[in-house]
Amino acid sequence: MSIEKGTLTISSAGRSPWYNTDGSNTESYLIGIAGGSASGKTSVAERILKNLNVPWVVIISMDSFYNILSPEDSKLAHANNFDFDVPAAFDFETLFDCLTKLKQGKSVEIPIYNFNTHSRENRTKTVYGANVIIFEGIFALYDKRIMELMDLKIFVDTDADIRLARRLKRDIAERGRELEGILQQYTRFVKPSYDDFVQPTVKNADVIIPRGLENAVAIDLITKHVQKQLQDLPLKHRWSLAKMDYGNVLPPNVTVLKETNQIKGIHTIIRDVNTPRDDFIFYSERLSTLIIETGLSHLPFQDETAITPVGHEYKGKAFKGTICGVSILRAGSTMETGLMRVLQDVKIGKLLIQTDPRSGEPQLHYCKLPANVNKYNILLMDATVGTGAASLMAIRVLRDHDVPEENIIFLTFLAASAGLHVLANAFPKVKIVTSMVDPVLSPETLWIEPGIGNFGED
Amino acid sequence: MVDYSLPSQCQLLEQNSQLKALMTIIRAKDTSRADFIFYADRIIRLLVEEGLNYLPVVDKTVKTPTGADYNGIDFKGRICGVSIMRAGEAMEQGLRDCCRSVRIGKILIQRDEDTHQPKRIEFSPWFDQLYYAKLPKDIESRYVLLLDPMLATGGSAMQAVQVLLDNNVREDRIIFLNLISAPEGIDAFVKRYPQIKIITGEIDGGLDDNKYIVPGVGDFGCRYFGTD
Repeated sequence: MSIEKGTLTISSAGRSPWYNTDGSNTESYLIGIAGGSASGKTSVAERILKNLNVPWVVIISMDSFYNILSPEDSKLAHANNFDFDVPAAFDFETLFDCLTKLKQGKSVEIPIYNFNTHSRENRTKTVYGANVIIFEGIFALYDKRIMELMDLKIFVDTDADIRLARRLKRDIAERGRELEGILQQYTRFVKPSYDDFVQPTVKNADVIIPRGLENAVAIDLITKHVQKQLQDLPLKHRWSLAKMDYGNVLPPNVTVLKETNQIKGIHTIIRDVNTPRDDFIFYSERLSTLIIETGLSHLPFQDETAITPVGHEYKGKAFKGTICGVSILRAGSTMETGLMRVLQDVKIGKLLIQTDPRSGEPQLHYCKLPANVNKYNILLMDATVGTGAASLMAIRVLRDHDVPEENIIFLTFLAASAGLHVLANAFPKVKIVTSMVDPVLSPETLWIEPGIGNFGED
Repeated sequence: MVDYSLPSQCQLLEQNSQLKALMTIIRAKDTSRADFIFYADRIIRLLVEEGLNYLPVVDKTVKTPTGADYNGIDFKGRICGVSIMRAGEAMEQGLRDCCRSVRIGKILIQRDEDTHQPKRIEFSPWFDQLYYAKLPKDIESRYVLLLDPMLATGGSAMQAVQVLLDNNVREDRIIFLNLISAPEGIDAFVKRYPQIKIITGEIDGGLDDNKYIVPGVGDFGCRYFGTD
């Protein structure tokens, strides 16, 4: 496991549900690690994450949040005359904003600081989906509002001579700088700043780790504490969803396609276990086109008047927004062809959500959405809704990316009534369109019956 | 169209804002040809899907991959498309999108005042007008989806129907698909051929002095095939 500063690290395992069955989010666990420059904060953070052995964790470095320097200050910085070791060098506002959102489980754009130009680069680093966040920096325990977000505050207390030795070694070997310059910077800025601003924050810490990474006992104790707190997260999601009892009435936000002969005939073909693959694909594409056309009628249209070639006015409608498709892999991608038939150059985001065979839980493995996804009207696509667990996770992901609930239209071939209720309870403003609803969700297998089988397999 | 009561033979597509938005695009005179084709095709597919609902069905139960029975239906009867040239040919792609390898026949109706002569000319005894027809050999045993995007006076559509009847197609097996129709055309058509089902996308106010549908869409064939 290699972790760069400010980079999300995802292990091979998927992310289990991080939200409640009603769709509301649980907060992520935030650890703050402060300490002097070269005290070993990053190493301690990495070791804690390694020992925790949970997927979906992130280390956020305070280095990403340096202030943008004015041209004058930038000149000073290039001449080693700018003090980067005081609180005023950091943008605490942006930092607070980012950490607040991360803690709420939202997707966040972390700035990328360029140390050559002393400004932020145009691109940002998207961080989403961390169950545990470690924030490290010399002033991690400096700002009161930021500390209030933290579940655990750590101060790494390494002797000053060791810190200086490390700093010399690092700056000479890795950054090719002169001994004289480093020492000058240390005595002018680093040391006074530590004494005046960093060291006093030790009193804000819950735990002080003397000697940094060497202190295996302290790190072990901290890990055990965090593990215990993480175990209180909700589990057995899917199974408890299936056991809820709902009547036969469908929720008001669900639209079922009119049961015409065509819909019924196409269902007969795609549900038949003996249907050849090419027929299955052809008819599911036809069906998906109809579902998507119906789904689009839920978009917010405006009045628009057109002039026809014979010179008359036509009082019509127009949709002024932009649409983005999001398919829940794998089975949701079967709707993509239908989507492209209806919307030629539509952007398509992907979420890979798979069921963990051991727990029956959905797990998020992959998430790739277009930038500013919250500006789009989303057509979220999955082949079937059984328990609603995977769909719930997908909508939660979109909500975490600040997509308004009412801008999501969920499209599916076949749904079980129970799953529709789960989705409607959690996200009543999401519009759901399905071509058919099956009555039964088998309590043993969690399959829809009579059902359609595993859509993506066919 | 508040005052017009639709005859039972005519089925209007569900009038929602989505369809209205598609219509707005194809009706606007400044719409590019690529957009015209794309959005017209979308409406045509909806018409075809609706039209196919009027084919006869029988019950059919299938086994699903979960092992359960699904009580579905199967379609009875073979179909073919017949497009009224030239504009009706614009609807062939939409038909093929929904019905793979469907046979499509063609009927060309030329008006008297038209100076262009078709390749092969025959005189129809019922109308003093010219037509050319190329139809599947076994058309008398098939259901026919008759394609013509605009139903204005209904003149050419009725002639096309007569050609089909002459070829022993049963009147109640003809389903006429069009995007936009005028009440005059629907009434005339239904009066003459009461057993034919008409599927239409939208009903316009009526016809102007030149017998163009208004507000209409202009010349559908010209806009679709780029000859305007």
